[in-house]
Amino acid sequence: MTDRVAQQTGFADFVHGERAFVSRVHLQPQSAGLMIEMPDGSALLWPWAEVRRLPDQADPSNLVLGRSDNKLARLYLRDAALIAEVQAHASHLKKRDNMVPLSKLLVWAGGAVASVVTIIFVLVPLMAAQLAEILPPEGEKALGDATFEQIRTALDETGFTGTPICDDPAGNAAMQAMYQRLNPASDLPYGVQIHVLDHDMVNAFALPGGRIVFFRGLIDQAETAEEVAAVLAHEIGHVVHRDPTRDALRSAGSLGVLGLLFGDFAGGTITLFLANQLVNASYSQAAEATADAYAHALLDNADISPSSLGTMFERLRAEYGDAEGIIAHFMSHPQMGARIAASQAAVSTTRDYGSILSGLEWTALQAVCTPETGAATQPDDAIKKSWP
Amino acid sequence: MPPAVLTISYSGGKGPMLWLALKTGVLTVLTLGFYRFWAKTRLRRYYWSAIRPGGIPLEYVGDPLEKLLGFLVAVVFMAFYIGIMNLLLMYFSFALLQGSVAAYFLSFVGLAPIIFFAQYRARRYILARTRWRGIRFGLDPGAWGFSWRSIVHWLLALVTLGLTWPLTTLWLEKYKAGRTYYGDQRFVQGGRRGLLFGAMKHVYYPVLLSGVGGAMAAFSENPAWFALFVLTTPWLIYGLAYWRAESFKRMTEAKELGVIRFQSSPKPWTIIGIYALGWFLMNLVISGFFLVLLGGLFLLHGNFGIDGADLDQLEDMLVTSVPVLVLAYFGLFLGYRAMAHAWITLPLAAHFAEATRIVNAADLHLIAQRDRDEFAEAEGFAEALDVGAAI
Repeated sequence: MTDRVAQQTGFADFVHGERAFVSRVHLQPQSAGLMIEMPDGSALLWPWAEVRRLPDQADPSNLVLGRSDNKLARLYLRDAALIAEVQAHASHLKKRDNMVPLSKLLVWAGGAVASVVTIIFVLVPLMAAQLAEILPPEGEKALGDATFEQIRTALDETGFTGTPICDDPAGNAAMQAMYQRLNPASDLPYGVQIHVLDHDMVNAFALPGGRIVFFRGLIDQAETAEEVAAVLAHEIGHVVHRDPTRDALRSAGSLGVLGLLFGDFAGGTITLFLANQLVNASYSQAAEATADAYAHALLDNADISPSSLGTMFERLRAEYGDAEGIIAHFMSHPQMGARIAASQAAVSTTRDYGSILSGLEWTALQAVCTPETGAATQPDDAIKKSWP
Repeated sequence: MPPAVLTISYSGGKGPMLWLALKTGVLTVLTLGFYRFWAKTRLRRYYWSAIRPGGIPLEYVGDPLEKLLGFLVAVVFMAFYIGIMNLLLMYFSFALLQGSVAAYFLSFVGLAPIIFFAQYRARRYILARTRWRGIRFGLDPGAWGFSWRSIVHWLLALVTLGLTWPLTTLWLEKYKAGRTYYGDQRFVQGGRRGLLFGAMKHVYYPVLLSGVGGAMAAFSENPAWFALFVLTTPWLIYGLAYWRAESFKRMTEAKELGVIRFQSSPKPWTIIGIYALGWFLMNLVISGFFLVLLGGLFLLHGNFGIDGADLDQLEDMLVTSVPVLVLAYFGLFLGYRAMAHAWITLPLAAHFAEATRIVNAADLHLIAQRDRDEFAEAEGFAEALDVGAAI
């Protein structure tokens, strides 16, 4: 008559975890704990504080119990009244007992982070820089061709044919004339191919193997031919320094590692893209500054004022603003204020600069995508990305 | 003393599984993938505990933190391999072959040994964390042995255009089963080399017949021969279900655990029915989802009076709909996974479990416990490579 609690007793299945043997046991909830009476007459007492239920069990009408200090023994309860009685007594049924020490977890987490950081920020960029120097020009061209087609397809809103390449002969001839006048050939391992894509984006970029791509939006935005020439000189700077090739090789390495990290959960692609953007940005800011410096020298040699580059940036800043704060870390380019100042500092005050294209050529270049000039009003859209 | 025959009952439900998969999926997305170790563990606990041989549920005792730890261990090693390997392969494929296809192919070939290695290690972890009647399962070490054997057997299957796939399946199963333990008792996968070829017959026949039909159509230039495909396509579908059921039956009935044997009789038509119903329901839900989504966009933009010409408005609309579309993308992805769990994986598991019996089990209680397999790496490699079990 030791127990004061009103008792609901019953039977359950019990395994002790030594042999694959199931015992039918009689359960007696007491104030100290759950009394388990074995068929052979012996008894076990499970203190309530140590009784745990197994989570996420498929059969809601059953209760499977274990003990925090004995990982093997299990009780399988089916009797609803008995289950209710046990649930009323056992105070820590849902407590989780950690099996992995937190310190061990932290050590390996540190190791994983260190390993990934070393690879993404040291090893892969170092190797990419070395390999980009020795990649044969044909290989570089193939890499550029593959990327070019991917970009055309990705930007095409219809998704069928790829963004059209503007093929007006006079316009392309003007672009070629601009390139000839800048005359960077001595710095380059191969010829440069320049394309204008019929797209609103105010942007231009260089691809591996000497492909330079302008979007129509950038030419529409420019007010003088010199501004376009400044952008061209900047992109030639990237080609000369093999930046696109290095970027492509580095992405191949670091995307694989980042994919490893994030796994295949929904939205993994978005996270992957952002993380890769962050990694790339930290490298390309230096590359952009170098390309700017190259452009200043090239423009100066061709008798064009380096401040044209700054003028283009000012136009963009007036329209889109500058990236500050957090966003700036995701941007692949240095802040525009600094770049405008640099381009103005490169201007030689003692000389007069000429112009890059004749008026006729400039008009032709502006119409490279549309035979009839003065295209429709620009839709104000937020997708537009600021030009490099 | 247990009875000589133990039937297997199944206690999982589609509704609870749908809810569990959806809930853990949402948490995984919200935690940028971090919760996936918990999600997988919880799904496994459910799936395991639903299977009840002789009324006692299986138990999955894997620990999410342990899985996280294993993943971190794998990342430390794999990051080097993958980062450097991808970079070098990209370089060489463009330097020597002027294309990236070679890089992808080589990258896969370079990974193949590790993928098989990881699969075996994942199996070892899962078995080491599975219990029934309080007794642990286990798998002997042998991942590299499994890896090179898998490559050899897969190559054989590839060279013979899949005709010897039944042999590949049996050989690899023999390797795995022969190293699997329940307590101190080792499994043996019996069966001679030809055991599984019969299970593939309803795949062989329609493929052969389609080949004949296609050849006749080509030679006689009479397209009427293509009508044969009306017969062979459904036959092939039945053949795949038949293979699934019959190969399971044959391998299970040839397994031995001491004197204990197994009987199994899964039905091809039930398997087809589960897939048909599952896909039908999933399509129904996804179509409904798109209808609601479109309706929502209509409401969001008031009048929808765009003519094909008014592209500005369309562009405008696309921009304002981006948040809705991103949500829809996640919803679709999570919904799809959860529905596949509830309406395909779970009913299949139920069918295979209920179709199987354990016989000659009177001495089951003599099987003794085995030591815990501490396994710091858990399924880390499989997790990192995304080649682990689907659940």
